Amino acid sequence: MENLDFGVQTVIKLFEVNGTVLGITTTHINTWIIMAFLIVIALIVRIKIKNFKEVPESRFQNIVEVIVDIFGNFTASTMGEKNRSFSYFYGPVFLFILFSNLSGLVGLRPPTADIATTLALALTTFFMIHGYGVKAKGLGYFKGFLEPMPLLLPLNIIGELATPISLSFRLFGNILGGTIIMGLYYSMMPLILRIGVPAVFHLYFDVFAGALQTLIFVMLSMTFVSSAMD
Amino acid sequence: MSSIFDLLFGWMGKVDPVALVLAFSAIGAGLAMIAGIGPGVGQGYAAGKAAEAVGKNPEGGKSATLVMLLGAAVAETSGIFSLVVAIVMLFANPLVTKQGVGLVIAFSAIGAGLSMIAGIGPGIGQGYAAGKAAQAVGERPKLQSVIVRTMLLGQAVAQTTGIYALIVALLLLFVNIFQ
Repeated sequence: MENLDFGVQTVIKLFEVNGTVLGITTTHINTWIIMAFLIVIALIVRIKIKNFKEVPESRFQNIVEVIVDIFGNFTASTMGEKNRSFSYFYGPVFLFILFSNLSGLVGLRPPTADIATTLALALTTFFMIHGYGVKAKGLGYFKGFLEPMPLLLPLNIIGELATPISLSFRLFGNILGGTIIMGLYYSMMPLILRIGVPAVFHLYFDVFAGALQTLIFVMLSMTFVSSAMD
Repeated sequence: MSSIFDLLFGWMGKVDPVALVLAFSAIGAGLAMIAGIGPGVGQGYAAGKAAEAVGKNPEGGKSATLVMLLGAAVAETSGIFSLVVAIVMLFANPLVTKQGVGLVIAFSAIGAGLSMIAGIGPGIGQGYAAGKAAQAVGERPKLQSVIVRTMLLGQAVAQTTGIYALIVALLLLFVNIFQ
């Protein structure tokens, strides 16, 4: 059995630091593909938005309004009505993670199966938690670290640092697990079993787990940020 | 005393390192799958609670079953993590090509398997949450979306220690830590 490699492949080498090759990896390329996809959709909507009427006439406008509405209501019900505007951030994040997770369906290696992507998203959340906490409560926000008693300060700090780690690895672990199982399936099964049958696995590992983990990531991120604010 | 340790560990130095790593990977893969206890118990509990909810209120039965299936699917996560670690050790073992002391690498395989046992906890806990959610939805089907959301949020947090276990297992398998 040859040693299968599920890791990130470096496509174009740029430079070397201490023996570690840095360069453009499959993660970068697949992220760009997903970005391009989302940007094209955004541009199409932007061009068509001129023809939008007060009362929707076209089906296209209806779909766009429903999507915007869903994200708005989802944000409002998770973070509270006054934080509805957060949907302009979390909506695109949701779509990016969702399409990243689903990209395994078209044979790309999901960018979210790379810890770099998920850690970046989780660190964004981490800085949002404390940024908005300070913004909402001033420097008094840091008094919260001394609750319920000052002795627990180190534990509270560790708990805060664990947030981005667990958040990033939850998404990473789930998507990587699916990628590994699908990769093994395709490399081990005879050709006849590679047609049609994997659809069931894709349905579970890519569609179900992908959509669920997207929802969980965004929902957890929203809950953390809004609970730091009030 | 030392002669016992010589007997226990001395032979490992003489065996071909690759064979040693493969042998311990087999144990590790088996150990990792012990975590399957967790999802089993948890999902069984969820199924029981859902059956109870359907029995009490057949009208809310459809949504209770749906919530039970959704929750049970999330409770399966730690089982899948263990399966991934076990399959990696069996079919795509990264330890075989690793450079270092054969004994340490071989024991890394056992360590990775052992750490995955932590999956029992999240499995049972998430299954419990799924069962309670199915029960609540059976009683008040109108509140389904709120209940499901709370359940998913809690289950995601309950998964955390299982994820830490996965991190340790993947570190032991893929990263050269002891160098």
